[in-house]
Amino acid sequence: MQDVHVIGQYAHLSTGDIATFAQACAITLFVTLVSLLIGTILGTALGIVRCSRHKVIRFLPLILMEPLRNSPLVVQLFLVYFGLPVVAGILLQPYSAAILTLSLNTAAFFAVLIHNSIMAIPRSQWEAGYALGHGKASTFLQVIAPQAFRLLLPQAITLYIGQLQCSSMISLISLKDICRVGQIVSVRTMQPFAVWGIVFALYYVVSFPLARLAAYLEKRVNFSY
Amino acid sequence: MAMIEVKNITKSYGDLTVLKDFSVDFHHSGVTVILGPSGTGKSTLLRCINGLEKTNQGDILVDGLSVNDKKNLKQIRMTCGMVFQHTVIFPHMNVLDNLIMSPMKLLKVPKGEAIDKARFYLKKVGLESKEKSMHNELSGGEQQRIAIARALMMNPKALLLDEITSALDPEMTREVQNVLESLAADGVCMLCVTHEMSFAKDVASRIIFLDGGRMVCDASKEDFFGSIRQENERIHKFLSFIGE
Repeated sequence: MQDVHVIGQYAHLSTGDIATFAQACAITLFVTLVSLLIGTILGTALGIVRCSRHKVIRFLPLILMEPLRNSPLVVQLFLVYFGLPVVAGILLQPYSAAILTLSLNTAAFFAVLIHNSIMAIPRSQWEAGYALGHGKASTFLQVIAPQAFRLLLPQAITLYIGQLQCSSMISLISLKDICRVGQIVSVRTMQPFAVWGIVFALYYVVSFPLARLAAYLEKRVNFSY
Repeated sequence: MAMIEVKNITKSYGDLTVLKDFSVDFHHSGVTVILGPSGTGKSTLLRCINGLEKTNQGDILVDGLSVNDKKNLKQIRMTCGMVFQHTVIFPHMNVLDNLIMSPMKLLKVPKGEAIDKARFYLKKVGLESKEKSMHNELSGGEQQRIAIARALMMNPKALLLDEITSALDPEMTREVQNVLESLAADGVCMLCVTHEMSFAKDVASRIIFLDGGRMVCDASKEDFFGSIRQENERIHKFLSFIGE
């Protein structure tokens, strides 16, 4: 009789859930921000190497980038978390696996943005720098990079928003991010609309202003060479 | 010694040979106008002097420094300032920053001194009121005048001007020509590739005519528009064709 009584009743959303969601937000933001930072640094390096004049050097980053850009993030996550222990005996903690996977995935896409932004600067800008006496590095730093950065910024923000949303995949390897907590609280309370509405709102309040910022920057960046 | 010695250079793009065993000297003063039909290697010659194109054969010495030695390129490019056909103002900075950036970074000129110098050259090109403007607030002619001022900021011994008025309307062309005439009057050494015959007639001290990658004529302005025009069928045809 006791069991039937328990099954018939569900907990209400409580103030305790706010704390749980707050913790989950911290986990989501921590994993996302660390991954974006590592991915941005690695992606910048890969993107610059992609601009090399030498065919072989230019090709090398593609070995890492293409598989990462052409497979689902969730598959990459499972390969790292479940696959690596089997084939290489490397057992990563969920945090490490999540950050490693998201970082590599971000780097692959960020490298493309870096490459495209640099290549979008007309050849004449390089030549104008050279003609004034600047070397390759100086022309890049003083003339090309600031222009490429302006082209890059709105696209990078859009990528970051996408990666923030993709970070919800880490719930699949038992990390208690916003989505995982949403699942738990939803099952416990049987109020899926309210709970997933909260999850939706949490992602939205971060993503929407960033998306508006990207759109604003895109309008402002108009060099018309 | 000539400031620029072009020694038997050949420059090809694939199978197309643009300059063939070409030699010429340029001295420290005067305005040399390089004329000739399109595709005869006029712009390529300037780009080779500036080290923007590698020659296939031969050598170019600028103040005794070979362009074939990469280590010399910085010095050579500071010796020979270059302005291009299409305006290349750096769009991420205003006019003043366009002018002061290179002297500050490369010549280590203090900022205050660079700004004073920039204002001097902006006045010289008639754009002293535009120092805070961005490139999209400037006309094509104004951008070319800024590009000339920017090149002058590096204290070049010569200016290489590659068809700098060809993309401009007549009014803007006149504005730029006024600046070049003023520089010529100040004794600035210039090598100009142009199709503006009025400029050649007014300002040039020497005219070089190229055709098919070879030098057809190297003469004073008076000789070129006088006796040579009458005697040389190719030059006569070229000048007649462009309405001179």
